[in-house]
Amino acid sequence: MMSNGISLAEALARYRADSNLAPPPALTDKDSLLNTYHPDHLRDSVVKLTVGPNAGDSCQRELAALLQAETFIDEADLAGVPVTDVDVLVIGGGGAGCAAALTAAEKGARVLLATKLRLGDSNTVMAEGGIQAAIEPEDSIQRHIQDTLRGGHHIGNPELVAALAADGPNVLRWLIQLGMQFDQAPSGDLHTRKAGGMSTPRLVHCRDYTGLEMMRVLREAVTQHRGIEVWEQSPAVELLSNETGEKCVGAVLTSLLDNRLRIVRTRSVILATGGLGRLHLNGFPTSNHLGATGDGLVLAYRIGAKLCELDSFQYHPTGLLHPSHLAGKLVTEGLRAAGCLLVNALGQRFIDELQPRDVVCAAILRECHEGRGVRVNEQHVGVWLDTPRLERAQPGLLEAQFPNLMSRTRIAGVDPRVQPLLTHPTLHYQNGGVSINVDGASTVPGLYAVGEVSGGIHGRNRLMGNALLEIISFGRRAGVAATANRDRGPKKVTLEHVNRARRALTIANMPMTQRTPLVLPDYAAGGIWKR
Amino acid sequence: MTHDTADGNHVTIALTINGLAVSAHAGMTVVEAAWHGGVPRVTGVGCMEGVCGSCRIMLKRGKQVSVGLACQTFVEDGAEIIFLPPAPAPRHHYELSEFKDGWDIHARFQDIFPEAARCRHCHGCNVSCPKGIAVEEGVKQASAGRFRDAGETFFECVMCELCDGACPEFIAPAHVGLFSRRVTAHFHLRPPNLIHRLEELRQDKTGTPQKDHDE
Repeated sequence: MMSNGISLAEALARYRADSNLAPPPALTDKDSLLNTYHPDHLRDSVVKLTVGPNAGDSCQRELAALLQAETFIDEADLAGVPVTDVDVLVIGGGGAGCAAALTAAEKGARVLLATKLRLGDSNTVMAEGGIQAAIEPEDSIQRHIQDTLRGGHHIGNPELVAALAADGPNVLRWLIQLGMQFDQAPSGDLHTRKAGGMSTPRLVHCRDYTGLEMMRVLREAVTQHRGIEVWEQSPAVELLSNETGEKCVGAVLTSLLDNRLRIVRTRSVILATGGLGRLHLNGFPTSNHLGATGDGLVLAYRIGAKLCELDSFQYHPTGLLHPSHLAGKLVTEGLRAAGCLLVNALGQRFIDELQPRDVVCAAILRECHEGRGVRVNEQHVGVWLDTPRLERAQPGLLEAQFPNLMSRTRIAGVDPRVQPLLTHPTLHYQNGGVSINVDGASTVPGLYAVGEVSGGIHGRNRLMGNALLEIISFGRRAGVAATANRDRGPKKVTLEHVNRARRALTIANMPMTQRTPLVLPDYAAGGIWKR
Repeated sequence: MTHDTADGNHVTIALTINGLAVSAHAGMTVVEAAWHGGVPRVTGVGCMEGVCGSCRIMLKRGKQVSVGLACQTFVEDGAEIIFLPPAPAPRHHYELSEFKDGWDIHARFQDIFPEAARCRHCHGCNVSCPKGIAVEEGVKQASAGRFRDAGETFFECVMCELCDGACPEFIAPAHVGLFSRRVTAHFHLRPPNLIHRLEELRQDKTGTPQKDHDE
């Protein structure tokens, strides 16, 4: 798909941090740019689902194979497995899971938080740029709603978006009460930035460590809370249903340490399992952490929850191309929000850097495709993120505001103040997911979904800073709703939904060779998790 | 930026990971080498960019022993690497919501972290920190009640808790740092723009849509 481009050596020789840059050409046909170059539109990358609640809907091909697959667990496997009873089970230990657990515990629930890796291992901890909240005088909840809907190409659910935007200021207050710090202007106001797709500055941040600051505070608050028990290294491999298979009443967890199963019986399950970057859809590198293998989507679909926008993913425009050990890792959009420009191998700007992420991503892929990219080797072509020019314009900014970037590049011997960063789009975010209402409730009673695993807020493109807001806003909403669910709890836990899904696959004559969820990507699963 | 030799072949590095001989390529991190070598039971891996603090390792070069993060450590010939188990459960318990006001933070700190005042200045924490934080100085600042400064010292802390394991007095420096940051936000962060908007929302002023500039 990529043509040659200009060699790295030649592009570096041509590069000047002090050249005069013309403004980028006007963006005349956004739709055609997206349709031609955005990876969601790659030929053969989308199929129709055959079975399940979304039968007939479009779905990314590799994800469809996971959704329509066999499970690991049979009724026979559950004989003699130890059972734990709790009020609320939270699956996932990132920001959304912690916010849900803390809120449910605040409301008096006995909470078990089970997480695949270590508590806090998540995409949350890597989020650099910030969190959106309409707090500036010229801003309003209404503008936040409009920007979010417009950024998502008007596919987002307006009711969910309104809830998200309205929660913004109170989410910040809750986080500050928990002990999270944010950058302040000299006046004491929270400092805000304007990033892609925002009509006014709305991005609140903690230098470029916003996610780390949020996650370490949430993690500490969860481990310190007497009402929350945490099980690490404990991925969920199946949900449990009632006798009719229509209600979620628990989950089957395994342990990466001893491979032993455990049954958790509960009134409410909150899925907060995050995204699926580690599936490397369409062969792209990813910015995601190791556990992002789409497990929550698989579990929710098998128990009958409706999903949405399964053919829409966010490829972050500026993933690093090199050094190779950081391939796919992000350079924050905060840099472009601070004025950093994108430049092709010919030293030209080619897109307004603050267009929404899908547009900027498509424009970068166009440059690479049409021979204006910087070529490292046959597989790796990218464009410059012009950090030296930013450093010239605002000396000291990179060190003061982007310590995370500086620390990551330092160990690789790269100085972004001197050398521009070579970047290429990277698989970053699952725009859709489990369909939810404003309580985070899925279409299956007893099952909630919050954070990246859920869908409906971001339409077909998420704006920067709305993910960190969503995980707290909807994590808290689901924590409240799941605790309010005061039914008596399950009499019997079964795998009736699994039998139903298996019958559907058999009738549709689908292959049942693959077992899901994946739990870990193949390249990292060695000896840990036997499928 | 690539680690290939001129003829395109990888430079091979021989090391051991969890006692198994691994043949890796120069430029690989220890995480990549562990996968490449098929080392089983490496479950302490998360972000792979040095911010989650999960991939704690002990690294032995000859007689010299150090600790670090596997995703931030490049393979070296002859190195012996052991992935460390997760840190034990925290020993210091507190809930910010139980603090009455900012005047007794210092007293509460001494109740919660009594060991912090007993620092022996052994520098074990400084040496063990993969982020180069002046951990010992941060503990000193917190012990003196300078929580804002202490929190700033710990700004880049990724909660790997390697300093906790290195401390002979069980001070739990990483948690001292986080405590310092949290009380600073909890008691002192009162941003006017946020407070003003919260008050507007309380009075439900912005509940009614405002006229937007471009729509």
